Amino acid sequence: MKDNPFYTIAFMLIVSAVFALMLSLTNEIYLPRIEANELLEDRRAVLYVFELDTEGEAEEVLDRFESHVEEQTIADIQLYVHLEGDEVLAYAVPFTGSGLWGTMNGYLGISPDITQVTGLIFTEHNETPGLGGRIDELDYLEQFRGIDIREETTLAYGSDGGDQLDAITGATGTSNAVLNILNDLLDETISELEVALNG
Amino acid sequence: MAETVRSVMARNTWKENQVLRQILGICSALAVTNLMMNSLVMGLGLMFVTSLSSLTISLLRNLIPHRIRMIVMTLIIASYVILVDIFLKANLPEISKALGPYVGLIITNCIIMGRAEAFAQKNPPLLSMLDGFFAGIGYTLVLLIISFFREFLGFGTLFGYEIPFVSFEPWTIMVMPPAAFFIIGVLIWISSNLFAPKGKKKP
Repeated sequence: MKDNPFYTIAFMLIVSAVFALMLSLTNEIYLPRIEANELLEDRRAVLYVFELDTEGEAEEVLDRFESHVEEQTIADIQLYVHLEGDEVLAYAVPFTGSGLWGTMNGYLGISPDITQVTGLIFTEHNETPGLGGRIDELDYLEQFRGIDIREETTLAYGSDGGDQLDAITGATGTSNAVLNILNDLLDETISELEVALNG
Repeated sequence: MAETVRSVMARNTWKENQVLRQILGICSALAVTNLMMNSLVMGLGLMFVTSLSSLTISLLRNLIPHRIRMIVMTLIIASYVILVDIFLKANLPEISKALGPYVGLIITNCIIMGRAEAFAQKNPPLLSMLDGFFAGIGYTLVLLIISFFREFLGFGTLFGYEIPFVSFEPWTIMVMPPAAFFIIGVLIWISSNLFAPKGKKKP
């Protein structure tokens, strides 16, 4: 009976249906929680770029985000603005680009007069843990605070970039991919932003 | 030969260790062993998936049509892996982020399919579950041994904690996949000497 083609088809259909049902139920149950986690992660990333406190319970973090940050669209660019009263302290521009192994997403902080890079964070990437994955470490990210982009508009590692940035040893591919993404962003989006802001 | 719980345990953890004696699951043993934490979570994930998939396949073993058994096994394994992935994302987002794509790669781990094909489809459910579980333990042990050396020599830390009183220049090679090849090679050599059946000498 087990070799009967109809049995085979029926068996496959039933097994698929049972497991698909099980997975979609689990997904349905956990989806709100997963989305909440992802939102929180995203909010923390923006707070980090603005040098605000990222610690604390979910609610505190979301409140802090609400009170300091506003989402705006300037020249068709969706970005987050760090506000203190009416004064703009910094922009966080989202970017996406190809890393060594997959897509990288994150935010780049820019000062309101577009003269400085004020911070960098990645929200998603597929780099090798322990090698390229170390772009998530503060030692690497903190280098991107306060880099002058008035004269030299391209970022570079080592002496070419005025010794402001160090690549990650053993992860040259990832390190270069990061700079390529950021330089493209500075060239295109950030320039557009500058034009839009300064008229 | 009927297997007992004890023989299943000894066979899977040491005598026929999946990584060292069967040379299965090498891909992930190279990829996730640069940090002990990653190895541990990967091992736990694999233990969970192998146990449950072996149990399920063994329960269904008299119903699965022989011709499509591989497809059915893959379906079952993939379902459990997605379950683990959802669970990690919802409850342990930090670890889920650190492991990234590796959780999904549990599906392609040859050990799970190997246990399903070699054991679960002709043995009773509970024994199959234990078989899968101990295969997972054997895998986890090997991963932890490899990552101990790699993290210690490559970063100077263990489970992310600095080791006091020891300071030396970390070996970058230990962080890269080739280091795992060397360590696995040495471990395979040791385990072959200990557990390989003493065959006749070549003429």
